[in-house]
This record gives sequence, C-alpha cells and structure tokens, in this order.
Amino acid sequence: MSTRFAQPVDSFRHEALLYAGMDDFLAGTMPFLRGGIEAGETVLVVESAAKISLLRAELGGDGDSVMFADMSVVGANPARIIPAWRDFVTENGGGGRRLRGIGEPIWKERAPVQLIECQRHESLLNVAFAPGQPWWLLCPYDTEALDPGVIDEARRSHEFVTAGNNVKRSDDYRGLDASGAPFDLPLPEPGPGVQELAFDAGSLVALRRLVSMNATSAGLSPARAGELVLAVNEVVTNSLVHGGGKGALRIWRDTTGLICEVRDPGRFHSPLVDRERPAAPATGSRGLWLANQLCDLVQIRNFRSGTAVRLHVWLGTPTGHHQNGSTATD
Amino acid sequence: MGAVYRMDRIWAVGERVEIDNLKAPRAAGVKVYADRQLVVSRTSSPAGIKFTGEMDASNSHAVGSSIAAAMVPDHDIHVDVTDLQFCDVSGIRALVAAAGGLNHGRRLLLHGMPTQLKTVIEVVGWSELPTLEVCECKVEPE
Repeated sequence: MSTRFAQPVDSFRHEALLYAGMDDFLAGTMPFLRGGIEAGETVLVVESAAKISLLRAELGGDGDSVMFADMSVVGANPARIIPAWRDFVTENGGGGRRLRGIGEPIWKERAPVQLIECQRHESLLNVAFAPGQPWWLLCPYDTEALDPGVIDEARRSHEFVTAGNNVKRSDDYRGLDASGAPFDLPLPEPGPGVQELAFDAGSLVALRRLVSMNATSAGLSPARAGELVLAVNEVVTNSLVHGGGKGALRIWRDTTGLICEVRDPGRFHSPLVDRERPAAPATGSRGLWLANQLCDLVQIRNFRSGTAVRLHVWLGTPTGHHQNGSTATD
Repeated sequence: MGAVYRMDRIWAVGERVEIDNLKAPRAAGVKVYADRQLVVSRTSSPAGIKFTGEMDASNSHAVGSSIAAAMVPDHDIHVDVTDLQFCDVSGIRALVAAAGGLNHGRRLLLHGMPTQLKTVIEVVGWSELPTLEVCECKVEPE
C-alpha cells in the first residue's frame, strides 16, 4: 500500500483524482480512505449513492468509521457544498485532529449551467480552506465520461492532480489569488419572452407580484413559488441596501427552468459572499446565502458595469440527476 | 445593526401614508401603523397587535414601535400574523429583535404563522430562539 496516504498534510491539500472506470476509481480512493482510517482521521465521503455502496462494500467493517453523504443532495446546488465541508471541518477538526474527505461534485449529467458553477465551486474551495486547518480533499474526475475541457479545468482548480500512480503538483493550477478573483464569466443572453422591471426602493411589492405571477404560470407549487419570491426579494433588498439603491430585474424561462436575474451597479467584495453561513440574527446581509438555500442554482457575476445574480428554479425533471457509477453495482 | 439604520435612510421618505398612532386608545382594531402594504392594529383577546399585509425592508422598522405600543407590563406580547401575506428577513429580524428586548421572562408569541413565515424562519435558522415562540392556538376573532 502506498505510504503517501499515511502522511499528514500541513495545509489544505486540494487534489484531483483522474480515474477511468470503476476499478480505477477504487484504486485511487481506497488507499486514501484506508490511510485515513489507519491514522485515526475523521473521514467524510460525499459521493453518489451508487459509489457510496461500492465503497462501503470494499471497506467492509472499516467503513463504519467513515461518514458518507449523498452528493446529489448536498451538492444539488453546488454553492451548498462549501458550507457542508465547513461544518465537517468545524465539527471534527481542531485540537490537532486530522481530517480527510472525498468529494465528486462534477458528473456527466450535470447541465452546462450547473457545470460552470461546479467549476467555480472547485476554485472557491481553495479560498475557503487555504487559510484554515490542514486537511486533505480528494476530488475524483471521471475521464471516460467527462469532456477533456472539464479535466483541463480540474488541473487549473486543483493544486495537485493524481492519475494512477502519478501524483504531481499541477503546472496549470491557477493559484489562490486567481481562485478567488472576481468571477466575470459572461452569462448567455436570454431568448425571447423576457420581462424586465427597473427597480428602486419603492418597487419591492411590484417585484414580488411579477415573480409570483411568473412562478405560478410556470407551474411551480405555491411553496416553491413562495421560496423564489422570497429569494428575489432578498437579493433585490441587497441591491437596494448595498448595491447602489437601484437595479433591474429580468425574468424568463429557458429549457431548464425559470430564471430571475437581478442586476445592480454595485460590486461583491468577498468571493464567498453567498456561502458564508450567517451568524447572529442581528448581522447584516444574508440575501445571497438565502437564495442558495431556496433556489436550485445561483449564478453570481462581478462585471465592470456591476453585479448580476441569476436565480434558477428547475421546471419538470430536475437536471443534473446524479447517476454516475449507477451501473457499476447493479 | 448598521444595515438597519441604513435601511431607515433608504425607506424613510414617501412610503408611509399614515404615521404611527401610538397614543391612540387601547381599543381593538385601532391602527398603530399603516402604509400602502401593511397595517398594524391592536387586538384585544389576547391583547396585542395584528399585522395585515406585507412586511419587508421598507416597513419592518414599524415592528419595534408597534410592539412597544402594545406592551402591557409583565405580560407576554401576542402578535397575530395570520394575515401577514409576506414577511422578509428584515421583518423576521425585527420580530427577533423585539423578542430579544423583552425582560422578566416575557415572550413574544406569534399566532397563526403562515407557511411563508415558517420558511423564512427555518432558512435563516432562527427557529430555536427562546423568546420568540410560535403559538398553535386559534386567535379569537375580533
């Protein structure tokens, strides 16, 4: 067995594992897990239900000391993954206790719009954990199922990349500063049928009516419609309080769902603005955090002209259903 | 709390059509606050206040003064939210702040919680605050 997995890390180690097929997946993950278990580390695996069964079977009784979580639940909205890892580190770290985890946020069935945000999530992991307690996160990438471009991006978002026995520092890693640099990847312009409403401090009621009408006519249940209305209300309130006091809402449908976009002339200063869990009730803005809890996907951009926040709610069958590895155990 | 003061500046002008009527007699149905989207009125049984309409950052400042107006020394505060059709985070924050300001073991009791309000409280994670209590009892019709 490789001894490299027995070594403690002295900083946050964000490592991509490139694998081809289930045997390769097990060959890459099992020594990592066993190394953690033997060192008495707390281990959390966030994977598909199918891969969790596979790993449990391989680990046998040793699997009892490992925690598992379903990535299709935890990472349904990828912006909820960092808070989940934060909880893991906070609850289990400290006092010199060692930690490691496996997380596979990207799989073939992720819709393109989700993939982009998952890739942003991978970069933000560096920002979220570089300054804190040392721990080791292994992120498997399925080279047979994913486009080569996705693998190239994994080399940019991870400082270390492993394929088979080849472990190395990634020459393409973009580094910590660039990982948290303002995200200004262009957003595709909506097709026809967009409704637009410029807003200021007097517009909240009108905005809620517009979103509610659209949510209802799109077929959302009253509960989900209410959640979207609340999410838009909070993001707009954020714009009114912190983003210059005015902005514009656009709302439309595409093939995946209903989309509400809030633009304002302000700027987000923290790259983790939407994934820092709010603390005490009295503290300020929590609109973007809330949007991530209420919506299926939230896209945040810092453009020269200001900020854009797109809130997505899937209609019909959710996209990005987690299926990878499902044929391996059946 | 800096953001709260800023909200007051943003929404102070042009929104209210009727200013607080805090010195009104303590009779049920008397309005203590009203604007285009929210009315706060007194209730008698139990003694407290009732919110009707929509609460957001433009008017959540009305919560504190309305509750102060309805307070009876040494008694819990009853707040009927049955007809509060929308309440945002700033509204909940105002209710939480009002509840937190109570002393001598008094509680702020919310009656007739709509689903939307439950969602906000759950999502912001404030369902465990000791002085803010959700009452499942029926409010007597006025």
